Amino acid sequence: MKGLKYSWLSYRRDQLWFPLAFLALFAGIVLILRPGARFNIARAYLGFIVPLIGGILAAYGVLDDPALELRFSTPVRAGQILRARLGLILSVSAISAAIFQIVLGGLGIDLSPLGNLLAVQLVWLLPTLALASLGMAGALAGAQTAIGAFLAGAVWLIQLMMNSWLRANARPAFLFLGVIAPGDPALPLNRCVLFGGSVALLMISWALLRRTERYL
Amino acid sequence: MIEIRDLAKTYGRGARAHPALRGVDLRIPSGMFGLLGPNGAGKTTLMRILAGIVNPSRGAIQVEGHDLATDAGKRKAKAILGYLPQELGMYPELTAAQFVDYMAILKGVGDARERKRRVDQVLEMVALQDSAHRRIKGFSGGMKRRVGIAQALVNDPRVLIVDEPTAGLDPEERIRFRNLLVHLAADRTVILSTHIVEDIGQTCRDVAVLARGRILFRGSPAELTNAAGGHVWTVTADRPVEPEPGLTIVSMLHLTDGIQYRLVGPALEVHPAAEPARPSLEDGYVWLMKQESALL
Repeated sequence: MKGLKYSWLSYRRDQLWFPLAFLALFAGIVLILRPGARFNIARAYLGFIVPLIGGILAAYGVLDDPALELRFSTPVRAGQILRARLGLILSVSAISAAIFQIVLGGLGIDLSPLGNLLAVQLVWLLPTLALASLGMAGALAGAQTAIGAFLAGAVWLIQLMMNSWLRANARPAFLFLGVIAPGDPALPLNRCVLFGGSVALLMISWALLRRTERYL
Repeated sequence: MIEIRDLAKTYGRGARAHPALRGVDLRIPSGMFGLLGPNGAGKTTLMRILAGIVNPSRGAIQVEGHDLATDAGKRKAKAILGYLPQELGMYPELTAAQFVDYMAILKGVGDARERKRRVDQVLEMVALQDSAHRRIKGFSGGMKRRVGIAQALVNDPRVLIVDEPTAGLDPEERIRFRNLLVHLAADRTVILSTHIVEDIGQTCRDVAVLARGRILFRGSPAELTNAAGGHVWTVTADRPVEPEPGLTIVSMLHLTDGIQYRLVGPALEVHPAAEPARPSLEDGYVWLMKQESALL
């Protein structure tokens, strides 16, 4: 428990402004919009913005650590480091998504078009996990945080720009199928692919992080 | 006890390959061991390999019987190791006590009461008990180094590796730090890596000199000092002089009647007015480096 507390305390606090600022911005937009337009902004935050922030934070999560060399000199395994950092980032994403949904609930905005409560959580959780895994793997593969952030941002942007094509031709690998087409029959397969892809990227990250000398 | 056999490390591949260590053999017994060498000699690479952070390209290492070539051996070695890196990064928002406590958790000191006892003990050892609850971001360079040694000691390591620990410290802090290391070496292996000859002379009974990835010398500081016997002179001149080729000015002392130069080099090239002098450890080191350069 105390290790968790220190994981939190040693995390770069300045990066927390990033998700908080977006949360405040989108909550503000939802508040000032007319009721008919609120749903689209609400799902845009949950389905697009939360995953992007997760991907970028994850790119910085492991390597942006001033005591990295000391950490590597301890018996802590690569898997434990990844788990702690990914857990922290997913927690930040979950808290942001939860606060936003509470705000939406207070305003009477109905998210049921996205599915039941579990489906709504999967709308943000799976793309966040996928982009976070990609951000981490990219940062570790390039031994630079900016590479991971760029990779996560680029994939996010390309998927967003090519959403019509992806929806027609590559639904299993489409990050935003759950938020754009919640009733699509390919959604179960899409969820499996996103989860499986995330696990594969995390395995790659684990293998890369074992080669500690690359990051000094 | 640490045993290193035929250790080599090359960074990069092909045309970009840069050998940092080239076949190092060392036995490091319990007590204070000094690793001396110029910048770029491979000291930090060797320290990082011993700390289990960098993998060697070739060779074998046993740290207190644990083989660093295996994952299990590496983890066991890390559990009995304390490491103070050259570039010490910490979490500035944490207090000294929190940081040391966190490092204790990472090192596997699980019991909260035992951890608290160890944290208090090591902070007292480095004379930081009064600043234990202050944030690290407000600390001076010397205090940060002391937090660094406290975290290295918190798991009561049998092997302590300190890489350039006195760099950037003021003279008083350096003396305090050296005394602390000598005290710690009474019941464990302490490896002190430095390019500051004085630090070795004041603390170590055993020393190795590393240059261009090879061990040039292994012995006591007295033996290293004696290596320069017959090759050290002093010359007093009333104006600045250029040394003859092959001679190195080790120091200059400004006297009332001129400048006294301390020179190291082969006897043949010495100024006629030069007088032989008793070598110091620094002279021994300089003479060794000159011989190494002459071989290239």
